[in-house]
Amino acid sequence: MGVFFGYVLASIPYGCAFSLVAVGLVLTYRATGVFNFAFAAEAYAATVVYSELISHGVQRGWAAAIVVCVIAPVFGALLDFGLFSRIAPGNRTAKTIMALGLTVILPQIVETAVPSNPPVPPAPFFSTSFIPVWRIGGDPVFGSAICEVAGTILVLIGLVLLLRTRRFGLPIRAAVESPKLLELSGVDARWVLRFAWMISTALAAVAGVLYQVGSGATVDPQNYDLLLVVSIAAAALAGLRNLPIAALGGVLLGLAEGLVQGYVPSSSIWYPALVPSLPFLFLLVLLIFHPTLRHLEDTIDPMASIEPPPPVPAVAMRPPIVDRTIRRMRWPFLGVVVFGVILFVPADWTEALTEGAALSIVFLSITLLTGLAGQLSLAQWMFAGIGAFTTAQLAENRHWPILLAALAGALVAGVAGLVAALPALRLRGLPVALLTLCLALLGDDLLFPTSWVSNGTSGVPVPRPSSIFGIDFSSVDSEGFFVLTVVVMIAVAGIVHLLLRGTTGRALTAVHASPIGASSSGVQIRRMTILVFMLSASIAGLGGAFYAMNQQTVSQDSFVYYFGPIYLVVVVTIGATTVEGAITAGMAFALINNALMNVPQSVGGTQLHSTALTVILLSLGAFTYAKHPEGIVEYAKRRLAKTVFRAVEHNDHPLVSAEDSA
Amino acid sequence: MAGALSVSALVFQDVHAQYGPYKALNGLTASIAEGESVAILGRNGAGKSTLARVASGLVPVASGHLSVLGRSVARTAPHVLARMGVVHLPEGVGLFSGLTIEENLVLRVGGASRSARRRRLAMALGGLNDELRSRRRTKAGLLSGGQQRLVAVTAALAAEPRLLLCDEPALGLSPVAGDEVYAALGRARDLGCALVVIETRLDRIEHLCSRAIVLEKGVAVYDATSSDQGGILDALTGSRGVS
Repeated sequence: MGVFFGYVLASIPYGCAFSLVAVGLVLTYRATGVFNFAFAAEAYAATVVYSELISHGVQRGWAAAIVVCVIAPVFGALLDFGLFSRIAPGNRTAKTIMALGLTVILPQIVETAVPSNPPVPPAPFFSTSFIPVWRIGGDPVFGSAICEVAGTILVLIGLVLLLRTRRFGLPIRAAVESPKLLELSGVDARWVLRFAWMISTALAAVAGVLYQVGSGATVDPQNYDLLLVVSIAAAALAGLRNLPIAALGGVLLGLAEGLVQGYVPSSSIWYPALVPSLPFLFLLVLLIFHPTLRHLEDTIDPMASIEPPPPVPAVAMRPPIVDRTIRRMRWPFLGVVVFGVILFVPADWTEALTEGAALSIVFLSITLLTGLAGQLSLAQWMFAGIGAFTTAQLAENRHWPILLAALAGALVAGVAGLVAALPALRLRGLPVALLTLCLALLGDDLLFPTSWVSNGTSGVPVPRPSSIFGIDFSSVDSEGFFVLTVVVMIAVAGIVHLLLRGTTGRALTAVHASPIGASSSGVQIRRMTILVFMLSASIAGLGGAFYAMNQQTVSQDSFVYYFGPIYLVVVVTIGATTVEGAITAGMAFALINNALMNVPQSVGGTQLHSTALTVILLSLGAFTYAKHPEGIVEYAKRRLAKTVFRAVEHNDHPLVSAEDSA
Repeated sequence: MAGALSVSALVFQDVHAQYGPYKALNGLTASIAEGESVAILGRNGAGKSTLARVASGLVPVASGHLSVLGRSVARTAPHVLARMGVVHLPEGVGLFSGLTIEENLVLRVGGASRSARRRRLAMALGGLNDELRSRRRTKAGLLSGGQQRLVAVTAALAAEPRLLLCDEPALGLSPVAGDEVYAALGRARDLGCALVVIETRLDRIEHLCSRAIVLEKGVAVYDATSSDQGGILDALTGSRGVS
């Protein structure tokens, strides 16, 4: 009993932080329709500010906490003003992409600005956080724990009182259904949503500071992954609707996590598997079986028809002469590019271009799943990892020819795609994104670190093909492999292009637009969902195999889940509806990363990392997504098509002139 | 203009409006006096719903002049117009399905003071029939279409509007439910509020509205008393030119 009570006492403070974040997630989702994946990133940023304030002269923890509680809502208001208020209320994909973009970019910016992890900060109200203040039944109660529990209770009481008011509570609940309808009731919906963002960001800040002071570790963004996942599970338990259940769920999950950690011996083979994966497994079960989550996105804004329709595709605006020119010139142009690379480009840039082509193959899987089927998957990079590890193991340990091993890797990834597709049959939209995030985290925590997959941190060597169809690549290693990767990329792009334009593409578009309508038109939704998941996972697996071949080794750090959301954001903002968008995204990521490797590693004492800078640079594109949900490439093509049409035809295209007049 | 009165509740002067690249109003000119009840008719895509959306601030005026209740309001936000007394019942239901009947009424009634809000809420609840009043804590989404529409109309009337814009108020309702909705709108007209009813059925508007305006491709092509059914039909079928 004493041991049990000790575990409970130690777990409750963690549960309080989970509870606050879960309440914040539900509140933001209910009021704004945004599932704020960036909640943990905001919590981390607030904690860094808190810690930096204390280490730079603010003597009192409570004073630093007050400053953070003032800054956080202002930041929330800015997020709404600058980003989220610019998205059409019905565009849930854009909202999710924007939140994911923020999740990616915020920690990168903070880490670039504050390169070394700040030390563990003291609790706001106890200068000696880890000296017992009381003892309950012999178990110590620390100052940080009192802060966490008391802070959570106070914040939740304040929130309940606020949400019960007619002035704030009722409009916040109405705003999520239809901000326009709320405006017609005489309420300024912009300020209702802004207020919700301010509360939400303040909650994130309070949760972040309390979580950090309780954990006693240095301020590291990776510590916040667990905070986010457990809180998502608690929010899911509440069906993303019920604030009290979300709060209670956070505390209970904190308790469960603490009891499992306490009772499962750390030497047990279950410990490394069960402890980190418990919240993911719980979330997975909830996503599959919770009835509310299945119908989460069934509600449609009754005023959605007021929003302007999406822009006309560039392909519909091009004059015929441009189409003819593209058809005639595309292969000669590609040949010139490939030979130009072989003859003139230095080896390190050829490697970068090869990486770009391999990434493009992975990104084409996003085109298929997100651009065509409208499903937001955060697990594509994990599927790429499955393809890469399968290829590496078959080539290294079974001595399979590398290209055959790569095909087998694609097949195994396809089977993993089937595993993801089965629960996704019951879900649409945000729950699919959460499900795939779960799978990606499980892959990262459970699958890839095992020695039979990745051989630990030492990794598995991956050979490049030495010859194909009698052509020997061994003497021109990087150039030969570049040509091979580009050929595979073009073949995959061709398949995806045919799918986009063909019957399957039309069926998937119909399912995306209206599952009921598609079903009544004879489209077999289950078959289509399984097909698109398996095919996209296979493509990602093939891309992962070529990525690993280019790296020539693959380890557990090669396919961290974190890059799944990053790549999704990059592809969607550059253009997820066309193969050009995926290829541009892949090449842009690899080439910008390579170019930034040459920048100084330190400017004015700030450490610069090329990957972090690339992520920041490309994630900024997410902020164009609100205005151009069709993607940057499609937008540029439309602008170009207008210019060419005027130059060639000396006349206005009817669609061009209509858009101009807008 | 038929039935022109001295004070205008709504004045469109060469108003253009569009959704992205698609034009919906192409130089609409029309005016509606305070206390007047006018029907807006026209084929699908004629710009009827856009007229109401522009008047309530949901769709901005691209060019031209729009005056609502004596104030120029080309780009005024919908909530400001709502506080001025403009109530727009959009096509469909016009209720928050996730809120209860009472919460929907509370949101709609507004009012500067607590006593005014209480008075309006009591009036709104009094305007509901016994069945709906007994289900005041039921979520609006669980009511039938006709019941939801009745609640929406009741809530709109409780807001004491000066200009009421109704977009196909009886769409999809049974004849009996439609009659109930129109009876409620008749009460609004009798209270002296300017009433704009967008409708496709001539028989519905004949007794409620004194005037009818026919729209075609975003402009008014016919403006007459609502009893001139022949002329309206000619305008709707395109056999009559601009009046």
